[in-house]
Amino acid sequence: MKKVIALALALVMAFGLVACGSTAPAETTAAAAEGDAVVETTVVAAEAAGVDGEVSIFWYTFGDTYLSSVRSAMNAAWDAAGIKYHDYDANNSQTTQTEQIQTAITKGTAVLVVNIVDASSDDATQAIVDMAEQAGIPLVFFNRSVSEEIVSAYDKAAYVGTDYTQAGHMQGEMIGNYVLENYDALDLNGDGQISYVMFKGQEGNMEADARTQYGVEDADKVLTEAGKPALVFYDDANPSKYLLDANGAWSAEQGQNLMQTLLSKYSEDNGNMVELVIANNDDMGLGAISALQNAGYNKEGGKYIPVFGVDATDAAKEAIAAGSMTGTIKQDAEGMANAVVAISQNLATGADKFDTIDAANVVGTWRVNIPYSAYTGE
Amino acid sequence: MTKLKANKPSKIDELKAMTPKDRKRAIGDLLMNNAMFIIIAIAVVGIYIAEPTFLSLPSIVNIINLTAAKLPIALGVGGCIILAGTDISAGRVVGLSACIAAGLQLTTNKLFPGLQVMPVPVAILAVLAVGACVGFVNGFFMAKFKLHPFIVTLSTQLIVYGIILIFMQLGTNSGQTLSGMSEAYRNFVTGELFKVGNTTVPRYVLYSAIIAVVVWVIWNKTTFGKNMYAVGSNEDAANVSGVNVTKTIIMVFILAGMLYGLTGFMDAARIASVNANTGLNYESDAIAACVIGGISFVGGIGKVSGAIIGVLLLQVIFVGLNYLSVDPNLLYIVKGMIILVACSIDMRKYLVRK
Repeated sequence: MKKVIALALALVMAFGLVACGSTAPAETTAAAAEGDAVVETTVVAAEAAGVDGEVSIFWYTFGDTYLSSVRSAMNAAWDAAGIKYHDYDANNSQTTQTEQIQTAITKGTAVLVVNIVDASSDDATQAIVDMAEQAGIPLVFFNRSVSEEIVSAYDKAAYVGTDYTQAGHMQGEMIGNYVLENYDALDLNGDGQISYVMFKGQEGNMEADARTQYGVEDADKVLTEAGKPALVFYDDANPSKYLLDANGAWSAEQGQNLMQTLLSKYSEDNGNMVELVIANNDDMGLGAISALQNAGYNKEGGKYIPVFGVDATDAAKEAIAAGSMTGTIKQDAEGMANAVVAISQNLATGADKFDTIDAANVVGTWRVNIPYSAYTGE
Repeated sequence: MTKLKANKPSKIDELKAMTPKDRKRAIGDLLMNNAMFIIIAIAVVGIYIAEPTFLSLPSIVNIINLTAAKLPIALGVGGCIILAGTDISAGRVVGLSACIAAGLQLTTNKLFPGLQVMPVPVAILAVLAVGACVGFVNGFFMAKFKLHPFIVTLSTQLIVYGIILIFMQLGTNSGQTLSGMSEAYRNFVTGELFKVGNTTVPRYVLYSAIIAVVVWVIWNKTTFGKNMYAVGSNEDAANVSGVNVTKTIIMVFILAGMLYGLTGFMDAARIASVNANTGLNYESDAIAACVIGGISFVGGIGKVSGAIIGVLLLQVIFVGLNYLSVDPNLLYIVKGMIILVACSIDMRKYLVRK
């Protein structure tokens, strides 16, 4: 009897698998079966949607807060355009992602949309471009940066990103102005200097490097121009002048851990309290805030250490509204999602790559930059 | 399903001779013993019906490639499981080997400035040596101090990760992803073995097949292999019968470490970029594959073919779920459920036998 149950279980599972898939529209076209032929047949068949078959989107991880907002916006945009799509989660592994792309190509996909895992590896990018080029499938990279030479070498490839230095510059400027306005209130120990801590999200990531550098440099510029001393890193013994998420995950958990450790040594009682917190992204900033709150700061009516992030995630906006966070830099998730969808459509229909894209944001023939904006509450 | 039909004629007379009750049991056993094949067949047919491109040539080659890439680590972990142990350091050892293989093959070497690209065999020897060292440590502490394999490999997993981080900081690399490996190396692993239609079968499929044959010979045709099964099923009995238990355990883990090393060697070239997180959690899929393939945590039970089937089934299902466009959030749930159900069925098989 038990054997029968076990087998029945297996059958149920196997059919369940199939059932999972059949929720997708059943009109899998014959064109899709022929892989490469998809794009050509499309233009005639479905002019309205512009893309026949499925678009595959490869996310570096579903665990990233900012990218989740891009994902929601992008999925809405695919739906609005009447394009079938499928999201893949690489779970922060380039191996997984490369294999997923390989699989999607054999399955027959209309466009590959790639949020590459190893942003600092030209070889990984090259391997993906080679696979796409061989199959003749259009390829759109987005968010995580890729090299110009590699992308421009394939005419059906494009990159939607941001000017990665811009977020750092804007954050620095915002911090500079804020500190200038509140200088005396911020200087808790009255030594005439503002001590800060910087949380870096990842080593070897151009975005993180630029934010770590310009977030302080530009703030210093604003301060010194106004005749104030530059910001001082809280720990002289640390020459790198930042604390790092050693997992490279830009995570709130690491922001919290690092801040908590820091607070165990640096406090107002010791006269060496950190007076300003700068984070490469909102998650790390929010982690730092939770550690500050455990130590009695940044709560309603309590003392306040300004915290700055980048991304303007929903959680950060709430924290700013609640007064526990100071400011952030907004990456335009919707703008990025819409640009990716528009470029995918253009590439699939053979239209000009950057049709319908604001020409001011187009760089050369290979990339589009989505502008940032400062956010300090609505 | 075709598999079952093929089995019937040979057994049909046997079945006829039985009483109805026995017959029922015999058929039940037959279904049970081939449950994995039945599940693969149902999954393949189901996915094929929903998405016919699943059984296209490129797709089949893709699944074979993926299976080949993941087979060596599964065989390594398989040996540890046969010892009634486990190895959660496997993924990190793959990572370290990948770093080392890549580090010896960089065209502009930031880790070791000035180092020329090493010949490929040097890289192979290096990863084998590194894997064997970690394996030796694993096996030594397990055998000498009777520590639980989980604890020992948890420790080595952390130690190896630390070594990876230090390794990646060497020279002027400062933790950056390694890429820019020599063509000779990449071609050695991913170059064309032969073409089926328009689809290229890469060389590592051949390497993986060779590794499987070698492991099969070791497990089945050597004293060491037979000792491994003996220690796995009953350590005390093996000891009493004159098997050198300590040596056997250490050797199994050394073999496993070398197999992880080879996985890392192939992975670095396959993915063409290696960072500190390469290999992270590889062991979880490898362990799942082994257990699905009937390599039992009870110890002393398991075959090379089982590991192959397990890896293949997992890949069929992973690829299949992508073909079916299953919501990636559900993917993890489905994966977990498959492992749970598959293993439950498999365990029943052994419980019945006992």
